Amino acid sequence: MSLFDELGGADAIDTAVDIFYRKVLADDRISHFFDTVDMEGQHTKQKAFLTMAFGGPNNYTGKDLREAHRHMNLTEEHFNAVAEDLLATLEELNVPQVKIDEVMSIVGGTKSDILNL
Amino acid sequence: MPAIFFEGEELDCRPGESVLDALNRHGKEIPSGCRAGVCQACVLLTDEQQVAARHQQGLSAAQRDLNYFLSCQCQPTSAIHVRRPDSGANRVRGKLVNREWLSDQVVRLQLDADMDYRPGQYITLWKDSSTARSYSLASHQTQDKWLELHVKHIPGGAISPWLCNDLKCGDELTLQGPMGSCVYSHTQDRPLLLAAIGTGLAPVLGVLKDALVNGHHGPIYLLVGAARHSGFYYQGALLRLVEEFPQVELQFLVQTWEGKACPGLIEADIYQYCRERFSDLSGYGVYLCGAPTFVQKMRKQAFMAGAAMSDIATDAFLAFGETS
Repeated sequence: MSLFDELGGADAIDTAVDIFYRKVLADDRISHFFDTVDMEGQHTKQKAFLTMAFGGPNNYTGKDLREAHRHMNLTEEHFNAVAEDLLATLEELNVPQVKIDEVMSIVGGTKSDILNL
Repeated sequence: MPAIFFEGEELDCRPGESVLDALNRHGKEIPSGCRAGVCQACVLLTDEQQVAARHQQGLSAAQRDLNYFLSCQCQPTSAIHVRRPDSGANRVRGKLVNREWLSDQVVRLQLDADMDYRPGQYITLWKDSSTARSYSLASHQTQDKWLELHVKHIPGGAISPWLCNDLKCGDELTLQGPMGSCVYSHTQDRPLLLAAIGTGLAPVLGVLKDALVNGHHGPIYLLVGAARHSGFYYQGALLRLVEEFPQVELQFLVQTWEGKACPGLIEADIYQYCRERFSDLSGYGVYLCGAPTFVQKMRKQAFMAGAAMSDIATDAFLAFGETS
């Protein structure tokens, strides 16, 4: 069973996105990428991202991720900051370690696309 | 083959094809993202009475009430009427029945029109085929006979001088709508924070009326902010309205005190006041209405104070020309 289903599907994932979004907005290393007038749009993007990372239904491809982040001049530090905030989110939700490892491994797999390496 | 009526235009839909895919195939540009029912980029509205739960998963209670659905998840088996949430709404003819200056800047219009709406939604008024502005509904569809709008008079503006001065009672005009999802959602026991500046009071008043009509018994904190005393209107009417409802706490906040006392009025910065008074907004329903800068700043503040994103409803008045 994926973490997405275990947490309760699309309805429950909103809570995880809220916790995660608050963390990135409070994170000086990356908050400027997320602090936008279109908070709902940003929230939606993060929902899609977490759904993918939690093994839920998605149709995102490496190409989409690459394209979306292409002109943002992202560095390893930015990627690590997001990963740390996500890890802290999962810990706050009391997700078991084995599931945390699964999620972080999915996220780790997107690194080269997100950083356009 | 089931037909899709997209804003009145009949289009065919192939068996097993989603509404989103069919519309895209016909060249209709509907935003989409995950195509998996999660990102909500592709939401449309339907007039059908019964919408399957899985077509609405993850949508807010207000959106579900308003018949929003995820077009990527819906494979129609019979004819379906759909439209984009904030466009293609019905146009009807209406009549001005009453006009009253509420302050030296704000006019209340009461219109007679056959329109089914929820308080807090907005409609667009057309002066002619190319000039239109949107206004939010302060009236309640079952309690008030007329549609009520609050119009800020902007000298030299394209529409407001016409609405505030030229239009005569009995004159007809074209209304389009309703649109928007800043409406009361039926969770009667949670606390509500309603905050407005300027004519943002209109949708907030609509939401307040709907909450009270629906027997909302959680506490309701109503905040009305203005830079100066002249920015307020409707103070007496609001005080009378909330008088018989002990669950409502009404507070007027003025940034620059000019020595004019009024019940419930204090000198305070609305952002600072909320930070101190509402430091934990988890579990609140939050409604923020007014100028875009106010709405954006308050939304971030409310979210960081613990309000769930799906529990924050906003109505930001866009300057002409902005579309999103």
